[in-house]
Amino acid sequence: MPKSQFVDPNILRSPGFISFTDIPVNQYKKTIADERANYTDEQLMNVYADMVFCREYETMINLIKTTSEYNGVAYSHPGPAHLSMGQEASAVGQALVLDTDDYSFGSHRSHGEVLSRGLSAIRKLPNDRLLEIMKTYNDGVIYKIIEKEFKNVTDTKLFATYFFLYGAMAEMFARETGFQKGLGGSMHAFFTPFGIYPNNAIVGGSADIAVGAALYKRINRQPGIVIANIGDGALGCGPVWEALCMATMDQYKQLWEGDMKGGLPFLFNIFNNQYGMGGQTRGETMGYDFPARLGAGITPNQMLSERVDGYNPLAVADATLRQKQAILERRGPAMLDVVTYRFAGHSPSDSSSYREKAEVEAWQEHDPLLTYRKALIEAGLAKDSKFEDILAKTKDELTHILKIATDVEISPRMNLIANPNQIGDLMFSNQKIAAMRDAQPDVLGPKESSPRVQQIAKKERFGIGADGKPVSKNKVFNIRDGIFESIIDKYYEDPTLISYGEDVRDWGGAFAVYRGLTEVIPYHRLFNSPISEGAIVGAATGYAMAGGRVIGEIMYCDFLGRCGDELFNQLPKWQAMSAGSLTMPVVIRVSVGSKYGAQHSQDWTSLCGHIPGLKVCFPATPYDAKGLMASALEGTDPVIFFESQRIYDMGELFHEGGVPTEKYYIEIGEPDVKRVGKDVTILSIGSTLYRAVKAADMLKEKYNLEAELIDARSINPFNYDKVIESVKKTGRILLTSDACERVSFLKDMAQSISELAFDYLDAPPVVVGARNWITPAHEIEDFFFPQPEWMLDAINEKILPLPGHVATANFTANEQLRRAREGV
Amino acid sequence: MATPVIMPRQGQSVESCILAKWAKKVGDTVAVGDLLFSYETDKAGFEEEAKVAGTLLATFFEEGDDVPCLVNVCVIGEAGEDAAAFAPDGTAAAPAAEAAPAAEAPKADAPVAAVAAAPKENVFASPRARAAADRAGVDIRLAAATGPNGRVIERDVDALRAAVGRLPKHEEVPVAAEAPKAEAAVPAAAFEDVKVPNIRKVIAKTMHASLSEMAQLTYNTSFDATGLLSYRAKIKASMERLGLENITLNDLILFVVSRTLMMPEHKDLNANFLGGDTIRYFKNVNLGVAVDTPRGLMVPTIFDANLKSLNEICAEVKSLAKLCKGCAINPDLLKGGSFTVSNLGSLGIESFTPVINPPQTAILGVDTISPKVRAAKDGSIELYQSMGLSLTCDHRVIDGTPAAKFLKDLVINLENFEVLLAR
Repeated sequence: MPKSQFVDPNILRSPGFISFTDIPVNQYKKTIADERANYTDEQLMNVYADMVFCREYETMINLIKTTSEYNGVAYSHPGPAHLSMGQEASAVGQALVLDTDDYSFGSHRSHGEVLSRGLSAIRKLPNDRLLEIMKTYNDGVIYKIIEKEFKNVTDTKLFATYFFLYGAMAEMFARETGFQKGLGGSMHAFFTPFGIYPNNAIVGGSADIAVGAALYKRINRQPGIVIANIGDGALGCGPVWEALCMATMDQYKQLWEGDMKGGLPFLFNIFNNQYGMGGQTRGETMGYDFPARLGAGITPNQMLSERVDGYNPLAVADATLRQKQAILERRGPAMLDVVTYRFAGHSPSDSSSYREKAEVEAWQEHDPLLTYRKALIEAGLAKDSKFEDILAKTKDELTHILKIATDVEISPRMNLIANPNQIGDLMFSNQKIAAMRDAQPDVLGPKESSPRVQQIAKKERFGIGADGKPVSKNKVFNIRDGIFESIIDKYYEDPTLISYGEDVRDWGGAFAVYRGLTEVIPYHRLFNSPISEGAIVGAATGYAMAGGRVIGEIMYCDFLGRCGDELFNQLPKWQAMSAGSLTMPVVIRVSVGSKYGAQHSQDWTSLCGHIPGLKVCFPATPYDAKGLMASALEGTDPVIFFESQRIYDMGELFHEGGVPTEKYYIEIGEPDVKRVGKDVTILSIGSTLYRAVKAADMLKEKYNLEAELIDARSINPFNYDKVIESVKKTGRILLTSDACERVSFLKDMAQSISELAFDYLDAPPVVVGARNWITPAHEIEDFFFPQPEWMLDAINEKILPLPGHVATANFTANEQLRRAREGV
Repeated sequence: MATPVIMPRQGQSVESCILAKWAKKVGDTVAVGDLLFSYETDKAGFEEEAKVAGTLLATFFEEGDDVPCLVNVCVIGEAGEDAAAFAPDGTAAAPAAEAAPAAEAPKADAPVAAVAAAPKENVFASPRARAAADRAGVDIRLAAATGPNGRVIERDVDALRAAVGRLPKHEEVPVAAEAPKAEAAVPAAAFEDVKVPNIRKVIAKTMHASLSEMAQLTYNTSFDATGLLSYRAKIKASMERLGLENITLNDLILFVVSRTLMMPEHKDLNANFLGGDTIRYFKNVNLGVAVDTPRGLMVPTIFDANLKSLNEICAEVKSLAKLCKGCAINPDLLKGGSFTVSNLGSLGIESFTPVINPPQTAILGVDTISPKVRAAKDGSIELYQSMGLSLTCDHRVIDGTPAAKFLKDLVINLENFEVLLAR
């Protein structure tokens, strides 16, 4: 795409070979004695202590799950428990060389990673910083509990250990005093002040999210690296491949400039425990032999991929540290294949039907708790009895914390009787923040130097000229201009704002919304992504988690299916799953097509409307597009911003005075009365507004009926006040959008209106959507998408018989029943 | 095996029936053909006989309950069998062994009560139209429905209001509430409070509505019945030979009325006033015939009476009257009339003011025959058999002159009865 890069046939057609360098496999050969040069004896002993801590924590959970008791404390835990017993050396070894500036994202099996990173961070952070974190986190709730329970503990590190252990455990047991107030749970405990970012219960879910955090670090000049800890089972997931592609784009090294240049600070770390649930990756479900091979397929430097013995904590530390240094030298992203094994089943219901007992026993003979302990004794670091003391101390500590974490007086769950809206209030952060960071935005020149800004300055900002005629398309300020203006304004206001997607830079976006940005916005703030919708939305989620604001673009609504998990499971959920500690200032622009047949013309707004945690809007006029985009970009919630390809070049026909040049906001969730009438209300979503206008004109001309037109503008949230007010007046309402009618959001609205205005209705609310078919070719689209004539037909048939009306479409009850019966 | 007995559907428009009386109680032995219970609709009564033998295991409703059609009413089976599964709401009914099982079942059956609360006359109207009618104080049943699927919508109520102005709102007369106070001093043995049957409630409501909503007045006249009487005597004499029915004077009158109503100038009397701005004119004559039954007045309809012969009319009247008296009339035959004839002549009534059966526009009362004198052509006084007629018309539709003209034509036709036979 960039003109600076010449696609040279002479080079591309030349013969040659692709060569690879050898990928190291378990090449670590150092001894404890060697490592005493790198680590203090205390550190080396702590590695053992931390492994014991992780092992005993999960032993505790296992006993609670299987016997409802641990060390005399009775408790029953109905929730999930995906244990990593056996994998401790990998987690502790990695944590040993990470700092709180390094962000790690994990999987559903990340108790060990969370605990070992927590213990590592406590040792590394100065005491005053630790105290500050503890006293402010969740308004000091956990701090106060620990202070009260451990009055005699004066050592800040020990206090912080209890603090951390308690927060993680209370979270697992769904207590309001947990790190995420119990809304995350076992699979999602995290603690960002220590660099521990969300673990993900969707296999591979962390991969693309972590890429977004790495983007944030680079673009916002933050120290540290980002690690995606994912299992070998996740390597079969498409979004993981997308994450690798997006993390390793050539442009970071070839097109990004100045201090932005170079590989992303990203470590792709595979905790390779040999199984994806029960599926054996090596030998059964994958074909890579060793996952370390993958790096060689991604980048010329093979992502510096290595296979490391994950049963030796110091081997893991050694490799992680080397990769981290390479990454900081901008030679990344890097990859590690950490060989490990879990003794425990996938979950308590796992009967290990897929492996022999002898196999587990063989690994248990290699158990790091035995082998590393032996190595420490042999190196003379401590006597054997010391290790028994460590185990006994850990058990005592866990027992004490378990007692208070399961005590409902000290550790209550959310009280949804006293606070029925408590979870609801966490679904959206609803903040208005102009800039996510205080810094000078990187730009290439003043806003006015954008050719687009200059072009727009000459346009008419109202769609009807003084002569009463529509202004010509080339001269009128249109919807894409409205969206553009709010976006460019924000680029000059929020230094963290980035935008990416397919063909957004030099092309200006497939529909030219971004045209004129490439001249003033540097590469690292506006760039093309691979055709990886999953990674586009996933990385946006990670970018926002790390603290930035981002606009992702999905070129066609139809491609939303490609980012299903990211759009429905990740982006909408993390604000509430973090109990409000994370915000999600993400706008996903989605262009709704037409003319392009079955896979490029669908309106999937209803799918987004269904998902808790998403704000969804669909403006249909330049005034609304600009104002809604301004609100979306000022907010801190994920907004799916739908745009219709049918009307990008539509001028403003409704708002008196046209579209203001200055910034203004339209609240997401507020519908707008576009035309006042008294006889029937038509509520439209998206571009059907213009067909509703036509229907209203026909109703007036032919039947002397005055339709009131309401443009929904938003889907969620949605304030029904104006609609109900209108229905009280007219007694009749028709709803229309381009979404296929079955399970369309209109049906939800119709149902709500029926309930809220039943006594005022003179007929049931009637929905006119698209047919439940594939979208046919443009030439016969009018038989698929709602037409103005259909609206009159539906009114005549179901609301108010129109004298002498001749129907063009069949809205009879029998036809409705037939369609339902046949599922079409 | 236990067999449920459902509430039969008597006619397409019937949604529910009142369970009038149980003939069996739980635990009773039942033989095929035994009367199980009797039930009634707005307009007719029926009896349900057992179609299987066994023991009455459970009943789900009490006398007086309004039971939706096709819902299980009781269960017959072998003693000890579990009938709970047949309970209409899915909850267990009391077992047969218990003393008062019927008392439990209906209470548990909340949905039945909800169905009963639905309007009886099948008026489909939008909530907005209902609210508008309520505000305006008009009876929504009188509105001409112009909405989809025959639904009354707001504009129909507006039209009705414009047409009739503000009509008094129906309100239940609180007689029942007053009564106990007024009669408190009367010894209990001096009277008996009886719940009126459903048919009486319907008659009460309909007749009251008729008089409160219409502008009724009655025109009286009489005619020379000599011809009719001699014609009837001839028929009687030839009855067996010709295989004819026992044609009565009333049959003759019905025959003549059905022909007279077909005269185009009298179409207003062969009509229904639907309220608002709509009158429904009938292309044929659907003649209502008032029949006295032990349960109360019933008015079955002879559809297309103008197309039927005297003999056919006679046979149909007899059959309908029998069905009414036997409580076996199909409710669909109690509707759809365009004009009604009520005959009290055989009881010696000389004149009365029949009450119109809404939404019809007129009703003819037939009075007794009595000798009258008149001046003959030669100036002498002669005696003849005169029969009275009392026509009540709704003045909202039919003014005095057209009413009188109809009576005049009717008298001519009755006095020249044979001429009609030529048609």
